[in-house]
Amino acid sequence: MTTITPGLRIPRTGSTTSATARQKPRQSRPAWLFIAPFAIVYLAFLIGPTLYMLVASVFNTSLVQSGFGSFAGLGNYAEMLTRPDFWSAMWHTVQFTLYTTPPLVVLGFVMAVLTNRVGRGQWFFRLAFFVPFILPSASIALIWSFIFTPNTGLLNELQSFLGLTPTPVLADPAWAMAGVAAATVWWTIGFNFILYLAALQEIPRELYEAAAVDGATPWQQIRFITIPLLGRTTTLVVLLQIIASLKIFDQIYLMTSGGPGQSTDVALTFIANTAFTSDRVGAASAASVLLFIVILLIAAVRQLITRAQEARA
Amino acid sequence: MATIQTARSRRSITSAAAPASNTALNGKGARGFRAAAAVVLALLAVLWLLPTLWAIKTSLSSNATASLGAPAILSDTQLTGHSYTALLGSGDLWNWYLSSAITSALTVILTVAFASMAAYPLSRMQFRGRKLVFLLVVAGIMVPTQVLVVPVFRELAGLGLLNTYWSVILPQVPAVVAVFIFKQFFDGIPRELEEAARVDGASYWRIYWSVIMPLSRPVVSAVGILTFVTVWNNLILPLFTLSNPKLMTIPVGLATVQGSYGQRLADIQASAILGALPLVIIYFFLQRRIVEGVAGSGLKG
Amino acid sequence: MSALPEGGVRRRTLLRGLFAGAAALGAAPLLSGCDSPIAAGLVHTQLDTSTVAFWNLFGGGDGARLQTMLNSYTAQNGANSLTAATFAWGDPYYTKLTLATVGGQPPDVAVSHLTRMQNLAEADLLTPITDGMLASAGLAASDFNQNAWANQKRAGQNFAIPLDTHPFVLFYNVDVCEKAGLLDGNGQLKPIRGVDQWEAALDAAKKATGAHAVASASVGDYATPWRFFQTLYSQMDGSTPFLGDSGRSITVNQDLARKTLAYIQRMSTQGWLAPTADYAGAEELMFTGKAAFYLEGEWELTTAQAVKGLKFGMAPFPQLFDRKAAQADSHTFVLPKKDRTPEETQRAMGFIAAMLKQSMTWAQGGHIPAYLPTLNSSEYQKLEPQASYSEVAQYTHYDSLAWYSGSGSVFENIVGAQIALVQQRLASPDAGLANINSQLSPYLHAANPL
Repeated sequence: MTTITPGLRIPRTGSTTSATARQKPRQSRPAWLFIAPFAIVYLAFLIGPTLYMLVASVFNTSLVQSGFGSFAGLGNYAEMLTRPDFWSAMWHTVQFTLYTTPPLVVLGFVMAVLTNRVGRGQWFFRLAFFVPFILPSASIALIWSFIFTPNTGLLNELQSFLGLTPTPVLADPAWAMAGVAAATVWWTIGFNFILYLAALQEIPRELYEAAAVDGATPWQQIRFITIPLLGRTTTLVVLLQIIASLKIFDQIYLMTSGGPGQSTDVALTFIANTAFTSDRVGAASAASVLLFIVILLIAAVRQLITRAQEARA
Repeated sequence: MATIQTARSRRSITSAAAPASNTALNGKGARGFRAAAAVVLALLAVLWLLPTLWAIKTSLSSNATASLGAPAILSDTQLTGHSYTALLGSGDLWNWYLSSAITSALTVILTVAFASMAAYPLSRMQFRGRKLVFLLVVAGIMVPTQVLVVPVFRELAGLGLLNTYWSVILPQVPAVVAVFIFKQFFDGIPRELEEAARVDGASYWRIYWSVIMPLSRPVVSAVGILTFVTVWNNLILPLFTLSNPKLMTIPVGLATVQGSYGQRLADIQASAILGALPLVIIYFFLQRRIVEGVAGSGLKG
Repeated sequence: MSALPEGGVRRRTLLRGLFAGAAALGAAPLLSGCDSPIAAGLVHTQLDTSTVAFWNLFGGGDGARLQTMLNSYTAQNGANSLTAATFAWGDPYYTKLTLATVGGQPPDVAVSHLTRMQNLAEADLLTPITDGMLASAGLAASDFNQNAWANQKRAGQNFAIPLDTHPFVLFYNVDVCEKAGLLDGNGQLKPIRGVDQWEAALDAAKKATGAHAVASASVGDYATPWRFFQTLYSQMDGSTPFLGDSGRSITVNQDLARKTLAYIQRMSTQGWLAPTADYAGAEELMFTGKAAFYLEGEWELTTAQAVKGLKFGMAPFPQLFDRKAAQADSHTFVLPKKDRTPEETQRAMGFIAAMLKQSMTWAQGGHIPAYLPTLNSSEYQKLEPQASYSEVAQYTHYDSLAWYSGSGSVFENIVGAQIALVQQRLASPDAGLANINSQLSPYLHAANPL
């Protein structure tokens, strides 16, 4: 899913209200013709599947049989809500969010503030910090799994060099999620970096100049000017990060397949396994609906916060 | 905040805004701070470049050297492009590039066309159901499409589209956010430009095609690039809809098809690099558009 | 700092090229032949009708030997006669195979574990193999290990052609066993029979290593604990299949299961069995002489052979209880369901026969050939250490049939995880068994999706 930043504003040089209501009846037909192609794919691949998911969640729908199968009532939901592995997948999803959000926010902020100060060669830091973000997760996973290779990997070597006990990160249930989180931070920090960088350049330099004249140290300037003025961006970054984390799939599927054991199984890998490995589309649909509700709730919270911020601004 | 309408914004992140920021953060203790900042930034940059450089270095070793581990790879001075010639010599990778290119390009074309067409009446026309359509667009932004992968799979199976490029293209065309971006942009285009055409009796279609779209190049390229990158990198959808190795996209191919013998670690790292390469090339050509597109509308998730 | 001038010409040209290219690609199916992936991707034509598409899940040593066998096939039939694809082992592979068949583009021939092919057949994803098809490739039912052959049948029809049997066996470190006095005059492990002999051997081995006597994986690997359990449990008179009624009920003999778990824990408590080791770690214990025995499927032969300076032997897992038994599975060839012309069927069967005739190559990796002409050949009978455990194929116990069971399945994961906890002394046998029963219950009650 793509998301819009609420700060996206276009100067309105034209007026949308100049079109008057007298044209209303004559415009309906052409308007709907314009909308029709998008409406068809929207109904077919967004609304349709959502309805299918709701219906299948109360049936014993199978991947390898046609039709919905026998009626299950709320059985699939009852099953999911009482299954320890469903809850552990949900918990791992939260765990992933907790591991990735703080470094993504703090490091993204630090990188942006520091890069913003660089006179020449900003392109180099954009290259270093941002480019991983547009690369395929499959490449990221191959690169990081190799770094984490037990006994012979780069991390292993680095730990030995520093006199630490090497950790087989992805093979150890206690560390696997941290390993995935590290790769994720490396991969996606570019997004937050760019958002912060854009926000920083909106801060009038006069503010800093005035503060410097008043004898504020750079730390004070960051503390009392930069951080407060980037508050909205930080809220946005945190909320987008939470929503993205709930939908994590690629890194887990590619780096650990939910293992070792089930120590990194997350909501979407659990759903995909239920549907495509256990062939239980109905049960997977029930789990999807539950996840869907959680994501919608958080998206709604985001809307509320954004609105509150806009009202204050 | 940078906007999609970057072509017109005076200060964009990628333009030379540096002199302005350079004067910032002066004052007491500025020198020490600047030194510390430079060190931290340099360390972070090294840390962020290291994984990629390590993958490149490994990919330029032989498979035998790579399997010996980090010290052997590090001290290996005999660089070889063997892994690259081997991968590019076998047909698989080219098929995957082809699949990724076709699915991404067709999705871009359909998304840009459909989304801009839908956005036009939302921006310019009064019609029954306008509020409902707009509401559906806003609601659609919140729908987590990854969660729909199971029902979308069933639907594609029902339509007989599994193992075709369409199974990757069609579900990604209704990118609601694109409609939103186009509408915002169209709202900013002065209406006076259309008046003349309307006086001449031009149809809505003609105005859309010959007046609005030509003015919308920046937003077309922003939406196009973001869609391209998103579709190229999508794993979860093609992972389940494309099971024929010849039709797989780059991410799916890299993720599922294994080398059939031995630990070909150098080859694996080379495949990671080759899988990422097209996007790096695109970045070098279009970095302004990409960076500003991402800043204006998150690719996230 | 843009690398491009404002409104860069290059950029616009590139974009234009991109669109033009996409348009050209759209028209390509009109111009290209029916074998092109573009045509298949856009209008769903079948790919490669003249070659055998073969999918498998073999990595490591198995993958290397398979490649040798495939190379010999292409050497005889031409380089374009075959397209082989190898996928990640376990669930990812079976998921791909299922989705490809549901999606109408499965391979012509695929490898499947015997415990997994029953589910594929029940889901109607496999083409039955008739006697006529066997005969057309010069094969017959009597050519195969009858234990494996009987287990692939379903309602009287054949759905898979077994390639091998791969049982759980005992690896031993020759130097350690010699020191412990466990070898006979030929340097082979002396026969061990019954709990008393076994425990005496463990005591001697433990003294010799100064550490443990046996190593078997219990961390990060749930299949091995299951294989260990199933081997011991199946040796007891009165042991019943773990699941019954196609997976709708747990039919395991609870007393014997508890007894088996208690015995595994006893081995840990006595210091014989290394309680905590992962797959590679357990192996390493035997390789480095910190354990005399290592328990795993015979495929670890390749790994052991690669260890420099290691002298090791292999034997059937000893009979500790009432009868000989060992957990096992088989690799088989299956024909995923798809429309096939008689020529395509013939070609697929011919490919399978060509692979079976190279069973000797395959056997070098430790697997016991299911193809009797190879198994009974003097060449195989002389192959060591393979010949010293090949009898196990006669008394194997496959996993129970259920839609959630089979190699690498949910069932193995749930049950194996609890057995591993018992082995590590982190759970009592009673608690382990109770957890197994409760964690399997959602699957017992869920509607069978097949």
